[in-house]
Amino acid sequence: MTVMTAVAEGREGDQALAAGIAEARLLGTDLVLVNLRLSALDHSGLPEDVTITLVERSGPGDRDPVDAVLDEIEARPGIDRLVIGIRRRSPVGKAFLGSVSQRLLLQSPVPVVAVKPPADRSP
Amino acid sequence: MTRTSPSPASHALPPDAPGPHSRRLGLVSVIVTFGGLLFGYDTGVINGALEPLTADLGLTAFTEGVVVSILVFGAAFGAMIGGALSDRYGRRHNIIVLALVFMLGTVGCVLAPNWQILALFRFVLGLAVGGASATVPVYLAEIAPVERRGSIVTRNEVMIVSGQFAAFVINALIFNIWGESDGIWRLMLLVAVLPAIGLFIGMLRLPESPRWLVAQGRDDEALAVLSQVRTAERAQAEMAEVHRLAEEERAAKTAGAVDLGVRWVRLLILIGAGLGICQQFTGINSVMYYGTQLLGDAGFSGDSAIIANTLNGAFSVIGITVGLSVINKIKRRTMLLGGFALTTTFHLLVGLSALLMPDGSAKAWFILVFVVLFVFSMQATIGPLVWLILSEMFPLKIRSMAIGISIFVLWIANALVALGFPPVVKAMGIANTFLAFAAFGVLALAFIGKCVPETKDRSLEELEDDFRARYS
Repeated sequence: MTVMTAVAEGREGDQALAAGIAEARLLGTDLVLVNLRLSALDHSGLPEDVTITLVERSGPGDRDPVDAVLDEIEARPGIDRLVIGIRRRSPVGKAFLGSVSQRLLLQSPVPVVAVKPPADRSP
Repeated sequence: MTRTSPSPASHALPPDAPGPHSRRLGLVSVIVTFGGLLFGYDTGVINGALEPLTADLGLTAFTEGVVVSILVFGAAFGAMIGGALSDRYGRRHNIIVLALVFMLGTVGCVLAPNWQILALFRFVLGLAVGGASATVPVYLAEIAPVERRGSIVTRNEVMIVSGQFAAFVINALIFNIWGESDGIWRLMLLVAVLPAIGLFIGMLRLPESPRWLVAQGRDDEALAVLSQVRTAERAQAEMAEVHRLAEEERAAKTAGAVDLGVRWVRLLILIGAGLGICQQFTGINSVMYYGTQLLGDAGFSGDSAIIANTLNGAFSVIGITVGLSVINKIKRRTMLLGGFALTTTFHLLVGLSALLMPDGSAKAWFILVFVVLFVFSMQATIGPLVWLILSEMFPLKIRSMAIGISIFVLWIANALVALGFPPVVKAMGIANTFLAFAAFGVLALAFIGKCVPETKDRSLEELEDDFRARYS
């Protein structure tokens, strides 16, 4: 049993990271971090008590972040939870660039935990 | 996906001792010469050919701009398509095809009965120019031993301006020997077929890039190629290095359209594109494409304008030689800002000379001197620096996309200036055109001062932290 967390750019990525660590602790499992960011992940904040495997997004095969995550789930049969961060997007932004989180929600073969940054928790 | 692992320490390679393989590698230098020369010759030949061509085919200021700039528009697309094709089918294959396209384009231009057909084949030629700009330096960097990689790529830049200079000189010779016959421009353009043949024949004798073969999983063939161009011991040792570089190149192609949604990525690419625009809006290529006409407008007669124009080519070569010798001794930003301060000053001086001096040979000479000084300061600083900064400023994973977009914008800016120059000069005169270039120079100074990062002696990690802090 393993929890996977997709860490995207921005606050929603930080949020997903924190939620993923909490989820792994709660379930007492390992954690696989898929770094969708285009820069290195800051290792300093990662806890000692959870076994973490860091997977980088790299190469043209991972150009689409959704494929990168789905391929990794497929390659690791033990994954049974995917944690992602979500945020509000403008319709224009979604039309041009699509929504990674929406596609992950719909296409993930395992249950998805979606967390929002605090400011987006409007009533 | 790659697992994070400590980056392999680059171990010392055995030195590349001379031997029978050195001669094969010597051919690489020959290819440098022809690839760069072709790029330069084909972009520069129109300068000098344009005057008889305009008379022969009855061009207006606008169609003149079209005929000149369409090659550059073609190059923008050629660079994009050429890069993709060389990743797919191999560098060698691509360069051989390009040499054929160069010949086709040249012969088409030479035989063109009217300006429309000429423009069509100039576009074809542009595809080849752009393709060559995207493939030849990559091939060279991938096949040259690491100790000589820098000098071979540098030599390519020198050869490009040498190709332009050669075109100016050959045009002046042809013009002064055969005089002012209408079809003379066809002969000028035809000369470009020679380096294309040289490139074709040379390339047939060279092997595929070992790094490309490794990226295709064809390790045995890669080792066979390396054994041709290195000592046996060195070839074995270098395979690990080739693998590491192939992996790095693969990682450079990670980012895609989705990542343009990330603010720091978007801003960084805009800065890269902005640098390309700044470089081209110095109007360097107005001089490189229209120098002869410009000097004619300044007051030189037709014969002496085409001869005076060779000075632009000569100082371009001298400038880039000086620039490349100091480029690693001065901070990038300092050198870039200094360069724009100089070019803007000379723009002003050209503009003021054209505006205030009475017509006559003194005015013509003043303009010539200031234009030549502009060309020199441009090629000694902004010319090579912009390419260097573009190769250094982007984090690995966005590099391929970011450089691709920046170079595309640079070519398009080049083309727009080339398209606009004749009608703008016709409408506003030389003086105001150069004062407008000076105004662009001031904008460029402000943009660079505010936005462009220093890349010299800074690791990519430092740069990346800096960008994220500033823009996310």
